[in-house]
Amino acid sequence: MRLYEFEGKQLFKKFKIPVMESRLASNPDDVYNAFSEFNIPVVLKSQVLTGGRGKAGGIQFAEGANEARTKATELFKLTIKDFPVEKVLIEPKIEIKQEYYIGITIDRAKYKLVVIASGEGGVDIEETAEKSPDKIVKFPISINEDLYTFDALLIAKKIGIPQELIKQGASIIQNLLKMFKAYDAKLAEINPLVLTSDGKLIAADARVSLDDDATFRHKDLAELNVEHRHEEGEMTEREKQATEWGIPYLDLDGNIGMFPGGAGFGIMGNDFIHHFGGKPANFMDSGGGPSPERIANMLVLLEENPNVKVICGARFGGISRCDDFAKGVLMFLNNHGLTKPMVFRMTGNMWQEGVRLFEEAKAADPDMFKQIEFHGIETPIEEITKRAVEIAQEVGT
Amino acid sequence: MAILCDKNSKVMVQGITGGAGKFHTERMIGYGTNIVGGVTPGKGGQVVCERPVFDTVAECVKATSADVSVIFLPAQFVKEAAIEAIRSGIKFVVVIPEHIPIHDMLYVREEAIKHGTTVIGGNTAGLITPGEANLGIMPDIAFQPGKVGTVSRSASITYYVADTLTRTGYGETSCIGLGGDPVLGSTFAEILLKFEEDEKTKAVVMCGEIGGVYEELAAEVIPSMKTPVLAMIGGVHAPMGKRMGHAGAIVEGKMGTALDKLNMLDKAGAHPCKTFLDIPDTLKKLGI
Ligand SMILES: CC(C)(COP(=O)(O)OP(=O)(O)OC[C@H]1O[C@@H](n2cnc3c(N)ncnc32)[C@H](O)[C@@H]1OP(=O)(O)O)[C@@H](O)C(=O)NCCC(=O)NCCS
Repeated sequence: MRLYEFEGKQLFKKFKIPVMESRLASNPDDVYNAFSEFNIPVVLKSQVLTGGRGKAGGIQFAEGANEARTKATELFKLTIKDFPVEKVLIEPKIEIKQEYYIGITIDRAKYKLVVIASGEGGVDIEETAEKSPDKIVKFPISINEDLYTFDALLIAKKIGIPQELIKQGASIIQNLLKMFKAYDAKLAEINPLVLTSDGKLIAADARVSLDDDATFRHKDLAELNVEHRHEEGEMTEREKQATEWGIPYLDLDGNIGMFPGGAGFGIMGNDFIHHFGGKPANFMDSGGGPSPERIANMLVLLEENPNVKVICGARFGGISRCDDFAKGVLMFLNNHGLTKPMVFRMTGNMWQEGVRLFEEAKAADPDMFKQIEFHGIETPIEEITKRAVEIAQEVGT
Repeated sequence: MAILCDKNSKVMVQGITGGAGKFHTERMIGYGTNIVGGVTPGKGGQVVCERPVFDTVAECVKATSADVSVIFLPAQFVKEAAIEAIRSGIKFVVVIPEHIPIHDMLYVREEAIKHGTTVIGGNTAGLITPGEANLGIMPDIAFQPGKVGTVSRSASITYYVADTLTRTGYGETSCIGLGGDPVLGSTFAEILLKFEEDEKTKAVVMCGEIGGVYEELAAEVIPSMKTPVLAMIGGVHAPMGKRMGHAGAIVEGKMGTALDKLNMLDKAGAHPCKTFLDIPDTLKKLGI
């Protein structure tokens, strides 16, 4: 879960990382009022969950209340990389003497946290890392360890924090790591950490991402005004519906509705469809051990998607059992009804029971299965995906 | 022969009294897996599937000499349970649950390295050594004893690969689910090297997918291997994932796209496959 700058700064504050005093505004009048509180030149920063807002005009400066309101009016009309600006952060403008970069992330290959620091902070940090790696300090640290003050001091020195601020610089690095661990972060960046012309260190921006799988143990985030969000990015209506139902789902631009089991074949199956000359309409993942309701909902998403001409299903029962799969499909057929051709393969744990449920339902109502081609382990999955591509071509667009 | 677990392994189940724990313990026993007991704190003294339940792993190990553990617990309990198993002398831990907090897995990994324990998962289907032991949730129907080892990130891909190897008569030595979570107990490279030491394994199929760093690490060990490696990577046509900030880019570089991974493995000497049916074709060409 990616945090907004103002949310990240709340966490910074809690960990004694210096930030400017600020106000959050949701409309131009808020901005006008906030300016009157400061009454000195301010910066207006669009709050969006994407980088590159400066280059997109999302950061403005103002020296008077009216100017602040006028500029804010423009900011609230902006959409930066699909993210509409809904909130603006107002802070006193700072005079920048030097910009540093401090970041912490996880090196998954080495199973370590890594503190990264540079004397050349700012938006071009990645370019710096690529062109002059010697200007980047990387300090790996194991999750069981704290960053010793002497190590933090050495990092602060290496990136050129001036002598009189070296202890503060070190403690900022240490505190960022404490915050990283305390909140199960995946990423925490201060970019830039600014040395102001009057000799102070200030975290001018905050980029923090937390591990979604660990938010259950951070109930206090709500008190810090960090609201829980699902994913970054804009979602289509169908994607929103899927998220509500707990189904990982993405709309794509093809016409074959993919109804896979786990994420693995969810991804690979889409490659197979391309391989055989078709185009998937979606990516989907049932998650481990889906209930019949979830299986039924997966089909509802595809049935109601007008782009979908044929449904291509695969269930290899492991943690997800074939009997639950069959119950879900039948629940959908009974309650919702299928108007599209569907080809699928079902095998794996509890397949006998799954097949029995289908046979029974088919005997009772053969019509319900008119559009369905049903296969077991004897048919390779390649044949199923190929067949779906054929049907899509027959049905046409 | 097999890797990590065979018919002589003594297997325990953490969370044996839970819903999934009980269901799959019964299946694993049905397959012939040597399940010796289980652990649920507070339920010591009970009996599940005719196996004794203990309060702690240490007690279970003492009474049963268990050396392998399969974890069936909700994600938030995994860190403790895995560290308990590792510190109690278990040498191979299978973490079935998904969505384990990343930091928790980092702690588990530190502990595992310290004690020389192998951990697989989270979010793995487990491991099967066909005809000998089934740890986790893998459906028996796909597997048959044979001569090809498999390792993949995703459960369903493990099943499809085995299903193909079984149908074409190759069969499998051991099949390992690396797991689908972002930080995993073991890497492809580590598992490949274990297969390299197994005499019965004539080739290894590794199946990765878009995202993450573990496929890239495999490319570092493949050139040193005598056992041929076949590689499939899912997600060639998937929309590119989101980037993890500047720090992610600085640390992990440009890793991650399916094509890049496949090219890297190809260059390292692996044999790329596009569909499951390419696997038996490639094996045949290799004279296996
Ligand atoms: C693993 C999983 C199936 C467990 O779910 P579950 O069976 O519903 O869990 P339960 O709550 O019933 O069982 C947990 C049991 O462990 C016990 N337990 C808790 N902490 C424990 C510990 N440290 N050690 C041992 N047992 C413990 C609980 O008391 C409970 O037993 P009880 O029901 O007798 O009280 C689930 O969390 C999960 O992750 N599912 C998805 C897995 C998946 O998709 N994997 C990838 C497959 S490819």
